[in-house]
Amino acid sequence: MKKLFTLFFTLYIQFSLFAQTGSIRGQVLDDRGDPIPGASVLKVGTTTGTVTDLDGYFTLSASPGDQLRVSFVGFKPQTITVGSEPSIKVNLVSEITSLGEVLVVGYGTATRKELTGAVSQVQGEDVAKMNMPRVDQALQGKLSGVTITTNSGAPGGTSNIRIRGLGTFGNNNPLILVDGVIFDAAGLNSLNPNDIESINVLKDGTAGIYGVRAANGVIIIETKKGSLSSKPSLEFSSYYGVQETARKLNLLNAREYAILKNEAFAAGGMAPPFANVNLGLGTDWQSEVFQTAPIQEHTISVNGGSEKTSYSIGGGYFGQQGIVGGPRSNFERYNARINFVTEIAPKLKLTSVFLYTHEQTSGIPQGGIGSVLFNTINAYPTEPVFVGNRFSYLENVADIINPLAQIENTFNETFVNKLVGKQELSYKINEHFNLNGRAGYNFALVDGKAFSPLAWFGPGKFANTARNENLDPVLVDVGGTLIERGASVFENRDSFLDYNLESFLNYDRRFDGIHRVKGTLGVSYFGNRNMGLNGTAFNIPNNDFAFADISANQAPGGFLNQTGSFQTQQRLISSFIRGEYEFKGRYMFSAILRRDGSTNFGPNNRIGYFPTVSGGWVVSDESFFNSNAIDFMKLRASFGVSGNDQIGLFRYRGLMNGLARYVFNDFIINGAAIGATSNPDLKWETTLQTNIGLDFTLFKAIDFTANYFIKDTRDLLFQPEVSALLGSYGPGGFPPVINAGNVSNKGLELEIGYGTSRPKGVNFRVDYNATFIRNRVTKVPEGLDFIPGAAFGVGGNIATRFQEGFPIGYFVGFQTDGIWQTAEEIASSPVRQPDARPGDLRFVDINGDGVINFSDDSDRTMIGSPIPDFIMGLNLSVDYKGFDFSANVYAAIGQDIIRNYERQQPFANQLAYNVNRWTGPGTSNDIPRLTTGQTRNTVFSDFFVEDGSFVRLRNVQVGYTLPEQISGKIGIKSMRFYVAANNLITLTRYMGFDPDVGSGNPLFAGVDNGIFPQARVIMGGLNFRF
Amino acid sequence: MKKLYIIILALTMSLVSCDQWLDIEPEFVQDAENFFNTEEDFQRAVIGVYDLMQTNYLQVWIGEIASDNSIAGGESVNDTQGLHEIDGMRHGGVNNELRDVMRFNYAGIARANFIFENENKIDFPSKERLMAEISFIRAYFYFTLVNYFGDVPLIVDRRASINEVFQINRTPKAQVYEQIERDLDRAIRVLNWTNPEVGRITKGAAMALKGKVLLYQQKFAEAAQVLDELITTNQAGYALVADMRSMWLVANQNSSEDVFTIQHSGLQGGDYGCLVCLQGNPAPGFHGIRNYVGPFYGDGNSYNLPTQNLYDFFGNDPRREVTILDLDAFIAAQPNPSEISYMIGGGGHTGYYNNKYIKRDFERGLPDDDLTSPLNYRAIRYADVLLMAAEAFAQIGNDARARTELNKVRQRAGVPDITSSGNQLLEDIYRERRLELSGEGYRFWDLVRTGKAAEAISGFQVGKHELFPIPQVEIDLAGGRWSQNPGY
Repeated sequence: MKKLFTLFFTLYIQFSLFAQTGSIRGQVLDDRGDPIPGASVLKVGTTTGTVTDLDGYFTLSASPGDQLRVSFVGFKPQTITVGSEPSIKVNLVSEITSLGEVLVVGYGTATRKELTGAVSQVQGEDVAKMNMPRVDQALQGKLSGVTITTNSGAPGGTSNIRIRGLGTFGNNNPLILVDGVIFDAAGLNSLNPNDIESINVLKDGTAGIYGVRAANGVIIIETKKGSLSSKPSLEFSSYYGVQETARKLNLLNAREYAILKNEAFAAGGMAPPFANVNLGLGTDWQSEVFQTAPIQEHTISVNGGSEKTSYSIGGGYFGQQGIVGGPRSNFERYNARINFVTEIAPKLKLTSVFLYTHEQTSGIPQGGIGSVLFNTINAYPTEPVFVGNRFSYLENVADIINPLAQIENTFNETFVNKLVGKQELSYKINEHFNLNGRAGYNFALVDGKAFSPLAWFGPGKFANTARNENLDPVLVDVGGTLIERGASVFENRDSFLDYNLESFLNYDRRFDGIHRVKGTLGVSYFGNRNMGLNGTAFNIPNNDFAFADISANQAPGGFLNQTGSFQTQQRLISSFIRGEYEFKGRYMFSAILRRDGSTNFGPNNRIGYFPTVSGGWVVSDESFFNSNAIDFMKLRASFGVSGNDQIGLFRYRGLMNGLARYVFNDFIINGAAIGATSNPDLKWETTLQTNIGLDFTLFKAIDFTANYFIKDTRDLLFQPEVSALLGSYGPGGFPPVINAGNVSNKGLELEIGYGTSRPKGVNFRVDYNATFIRNRVTKVPEGLDFIPGAAFGVGGNIATRFQEGFPIGYFVGFQTDGIWQTAEEIASSPVRQPDARPGDLRFVDINGDGVINFSDDSDRTMIGSPIPDFIMGLNLSVDYKGFDFSANVYAAIGQDIIRNYERQQPFANQLAYNVNRWTGPGTSNDIPRLTTGQTRNTVFSDFFVEDGSFVRLRNVQVGYTLPEQISGKIGIKSMRFYVAANNLITLTRYMGFDPDVGSGNPLFAGVDNGIFPQARVIMGGLNFRF
Repeated sequence: MKKLYIIILALTMSLVSCDQWLDIEPEFVQDAENFFNTEEDFQRAVIGVYDLMQTNYLQVWIGEIASDNSIAGGESVNDTQGLHEIDGMRHGGVNNELRDVMRFNYAGIARANFIFENENKIDFPSKERLMAEISFIRAYFYFTLVNYFGDVPLIVDRRASINEVFQINRTPKAQVYEQIERDLDRAIRVLNWTNPEVGRITKGAAMALKGKVLLYQQKFAEAAQVLDELITTNQAGYALVADMRSMWLVANQNSSEDVFTIQHSGLQGGDYGCLVCLQGNPAPGFHGIRNYVGPFYGDGNSYNLPTQNLYDFFGNDPRREVTILDLDAFIAAQPNPSEISYMIGGGGHTGYYNNKYIKRDFERGLPDDDLTSPLNYRAIRYADVLLMAAEAFAQIGNDARARTELNKVRQRAGVPDITSSGNQLLEDIYRERRLELSGEGYRFWDLVRTGKAAEAISGFQVGKHELFPIPQVEIDLAGGRWSQNPGY
C-alpha cells in the first residue's frame, strides 16, 4: 500500500512539474554590475544546469519555487528561489579571501576560518602550471615556512624539502602522505604534478596528530577526484621545451691559462711549461659538454561523475634529457591513474585511488671529484677534445679525465615500476558520526643496471678500467692464477613496500546553535618492507652494452662475480584522539593526543605519547571589534610535541652484521663481527613547538597570515664519534646512535595575498610569502666540541660543523684580511703567519696569540652559514580578455656557499678571477698569487666562501585562451595556448653554475662540488578541455 | 548508539592489544647478545679479529715516513696531511693517521675481547687453538698501541660500555706489556708450528713476536732465549729464501721466510672511503708511481718515497735494488725509454720508490686497484728473527752467536761476513737492520728503541718524539681526563 502511494505521489509530482516548467532567463552580474560570463547555474537537487554567456545571460527550464545555485570562481556562491518573474538578475558578491578554503589536516578537514594550527595550502593547478618535473620543485617559493633546495638539476634529480628549518642532525625529511599513503621524498619523482588536487603542509605542533613521524612537518597531497553529477570533462595538456644551461663558469682560456701557469710554475721554482703563450682561446670544455636538450610533457584526464559515483582518470608522459650528457642523462615518466568515489550502499562510500608509474632514469656521475662537471671545470684549455681519433687524455692533471670520454663510457639505467593505491570505506553512522577504514600501499620495484666497459682515460687515471690504451683487460691474481678482468655489469632489483591500515571515527555536532563539538578517534598501522638482490658480473662479451647482463658474463670460473642482498622492515603502531570545541564560531579549542610504538626502538623505549593543544579566537566577531578596513581577524596559538624515529633499524641492539673478512689459503673467508655498536636506551627525538599566528582580511580582498614559531628539538638522534675504546671503527662497524644534542629553530612566516575578480575586466592575483628562520645548535653530545661535516678540497680539512651556538653545518675556517703586499709587511707584522710570502692571503689571528696556527683550530672561526636568513616567494597572475600572464619569483637571501669545485692542482684549469691575481705590491688585495709551490692559500678560508643569495624568476608564462564561441565550434570547451620559461633570470653574485645548492645531509648543505645546474627552459604548451 | 560504543571500544582495544605487532626480529643476521652457540660462530668471530690486522699499511707508512728512510710524498702537501706532519716531526694532537692507528687497533681488541667474554659458553675441539690465535692478535694490537702511545687503557676479556669509557684510565705501559706477554705465552703454548690453512697464526709467529716484544723492552736475555728456541727448534722449517729480489712478488708469498705474515687478497674491490674495509693491501698502490705508463710497474700515488740518505746508505750493497726503485735508471735501462712516462707528485719527489711494497702491472686487484693489492705484509720475516736474535745475543755478550745469526742474513744478501765484536758488532747489527729491512715499516721504531732517533731524524726531540701524541679528540671522547704525552 505504501509503495503504491509513493508511486502515485511521484507521478503526481512529475506531472505537476511538467505542467508548470517554463523557461527562465537570467543574468549574473558582479558587485559592480558587470556581467559574469561562464558562471555556472545549477538547479539544486538535479543535474540540470547551464553556464552564462559572454554577457552573463543564461536560460534554464525551471519553475517557480525551484532553487538555483549560482557560482563562479572568486565569488560567494548564491542560491536563489525562482519566483514568478520570467527574468531574474543575480548579483554575486566577490569573495577573494580564502576563509572558506578547505584544508586537509590529518584524519579530517577544516576550513581556514576554523583552523587553529599553522597550515599552508597550494592548489594543484598552481603546481601543475609551474611545468616542473617534480612536485617539490614546483613548491619552491609557493609556501611560507617551506624551504626547497636542489641536490641536482639533472633529469630525475632530487630536492630537499625542509619545513621550518633544520630540526635534526639526521633525517630532516617531512612525512609525506599522498592520499594517506606514505611516500618517501625521493619517491616524489613518480608523481605527475598534473594529478594533484591540493598540497597541504602541516607546519606546527598540530602536525602532532602524526606523532613520532611529525617533527619535520607533514605534507598531505591529495590527488584529483571527480565530482558527483557532472558531465565527463576531458582535458588534454601538453608542452614541449628546450633546455640550456643558464650559466657557464668564467674559466681561463688557453692564452690566459698558459700565462698564469708559467707564472705559477716559476713562482714554485719549476720551469715554466709554456714556451709560447699565444695559444688563442683553446678548448672551451663547457661548450663541448653543455648542450640543449628537450623537455616535454603530455597528459590527458577525464573527470566526471554520476549521482553516486565520481571518477577521475588520467595518464601522462614526461620526458627530460640532460643539458649535460644528453640521452645518457635522461628521465622519463609514464603515469596512469584511476580514482573513483562511489556510494556502494546507502551511507557507505568507497574511495579508491590507483596510481601507476613507470620511470626510466639514466644518469652521469655528479657531485665532486670524478663527476662530469668537475672534470669539465678542471680540464685545461690547451688540450684538444680529440687527439687523432681518440679522446684526449688530459695527462697533466691527476684524477681529471676527459668529460666527453666519460659521458661516452657511462651506462647507467634505472627502471622503476610503482603502484600506489588506497581503498577507503567511509560509513556515515548517523548525522554526527562517520567511520572510516582504509588500506593504503605504495609498492615500487626498482631495477638498476650499471655497465662498466673497459675504458682508458689516459695514464694513471683513477677511472681506468682497462690496463692500457689498447683496452687490454687488467689481470687479477686469483690464488696465484692470473685472470682477465673485463667489462662488468652491476644489476640490482630492489622492492620497497610501504603499507598502512587505518581506521578512525569522526564526530561533529552542534548544540543550541552556538556550540560545536568535533572529535576524532583512530588507530593506525604503518609498515614498511624493503628487500633487494644485486650482483656484479665480469667479462661482458665484446665490451658492449648490448650484452650487459649478468647472464652474459664470461668470467672464468665466476671468480670475480659478486652477489648481495638486503631486507629490512619497520613498523609503527599508533592511536590518536582529537577533540575540538567551537563556541559561536568565535572561540576554538583543540587538543590531540597520539600514542606511537615504533620498531626502531627497544622494548623499554618503544612507546611514546605526543600531546598537542591549540586554540583560535576570531577577534573580528567580537562586538567591540569595529573596523571597516579589517573584515576578519583571528589569533591562533598552538603548542605540541612531536617526534622523529627516522634512524637505522635495530640500532638498539647489537647485530652481527659488521664486516669480518680475512684471507686464508689465498681466498677471502667471511666471518662475523658486531656492526653498529648498540644502545638499548635509544629513544625518539622530541620536538616541542610553539606557534602564534594571526590571520586577517583587509577590504574583503587582502589575506594576511603571520606565524611566529619556536621549535626546539631535543634528544637528537646522533651517531657521533665515540671513543676508540668502544671498538666501533672496525670494518662495517659504526658508532652507536645516541640521544644527545638540541637544536632550536625560531622563525617568522608571512603570507599576503591580494586579488581581484573582474570577469570582464583585468584580473590579477598576487601572493607573497616570506620566511625568516634562525637556526642554532643548542647542545652537542658530551665529550665532543663539535661534529665534523664536509671536507674542503680532496682529502682536505673539515669545513663544516655541527657545533653548539652555531647554525647546523656552518662553515669554519680561516678568516682573511687581504693580501700580504711586501716582505717588510710580513716581517713587521705583530702576527706571525708561518710560510707567508708577499701575495699570500693574510689570515686573521682569531685567538690573538700572535701566531696563525695551521695545525689546530685556534685560529679557525665561523666564516659562513648555508642557511638563508630569509626566503621569499612572489606569485603573480594577471588575465584580461583571454590573455593571461603569470610569474613566480623565488629568493633566498643571506646563505653562503663553499666553492669546492676547483681542483688545487698545478695544471688544473682555473676560474677567470685569477687573471686579477696579486703579481706585485699593490696589484691585488683580494686574490692571492699563483704558485705551484707550498702555499697556505689553499687551506679553507673565507676566500672560498661566497654569498649564495639569489633571486630567481622560476616560471613566467603568457597564455591566450580562445573565446568559447570559436573553440566551441570545433567542440572544444576551452583552448589555451601559452609560452613559458623556467629559470629565465637568476640574480646572484655567486660565481658557480647555480646558487640553489642543496644536500640531503644538513652538514653538506652549501658545499658546491660542481652542482648539475637547473636548466633554463623555454617552452610552448597548450591546454584543451572538451 | 550501542553500535557506536562497540566501534569506539573496538578501536581502543585494537591499539593496546596489538603492541606485539612491533616485536619484529632482524632477518638473516645473528644477534650479538645471543651469539657463540656453535663452533662455527666462534670461527667466524675469530676471522673478524684477524681482519683488523689488515690495517698494516699504516705501519709501513708511519714506520718509514717518521724515520730517515722516506718522505711522505703524494699528490700535494695537503694529501694525507697527517703523514706530512709526521714526516717533518710537526705532528700534533690532530692527526687522522694516528687516530686511525688508535681506532683500528682498539676495534680489533674489542672484537677479540668480545670472544674472550664468551669463551666459556660452549666447548669444542678447536676452541683452545682459536683462543690462542686471538690471544696473539690481541697482543699484536696492544704492542702496536704501546709503541705509538706509551701508556694505553688496557681492556681485557670484556667490552667497554658506552658510559664506562669516561672512567677508563691509561694503564702504565709495563702492565700492558705484562698482558701482551701473557697473551703471547698462551699462543706459544697452544699453537702448532704449522697450520695447513695458510695465513693462520702459528707458534713460530708467536715466538717471533714475543722476541720482538722483549727486545723492545730491553729484556735481552729473555729475548735471546725465545728467539734461540725459535731458531734452533724451528719445526716449521723457516729459512731465508735464496732470491731476495723475487721474494717480494705476489707469486712468492708465504715462503719459508714468512714467520708472521698478514694476508691480503685482490679479489675484492674497495674505495678510498673505507680503507679498513679492504682485503687488499693499499700500501703498494699508494707507493706506486704517479701516472706511470710503462712496463713492469703499475701506476699509483707516489707515497712513502725513499730518501737520498737511504739510497746512499746502501753503497753498493745489492739490497739497494731490492729495496729502492731508482725510477729514472730503471726507465733508461728499458728498450723503449721514450715511451715510458710518469708524473711527479706535489707532495715531494726523490726519484726513488719503495721497491718491496709497490704496485706491479701484473699484481693488481679489483677496482680501485690502487687499494687492493694482493701483496701480503710480512710483519716479521725470518731475516728479522735472525737479526733480532743477533741483537739480543750481542746485548748479552754472546758475540759469536750474534755474528752467526747476523752473517746468515749477510750471506743470503751476498755480502761479506761481519767479524766485529762488542759495541761495533751491535752497531753493525743496527746497520744491518736498515740494509735488510728498510721499506718494511720498522725503521722508526728501531731508531727510537736504540736511542738513535735524534741523530738520524731531523726535528726529532728527545723526550717528546719517542711517542706519538694521543689524538686530542680521543682524549676528549674519553672524558678529557687523560694527560697528553710529554712535549705535545
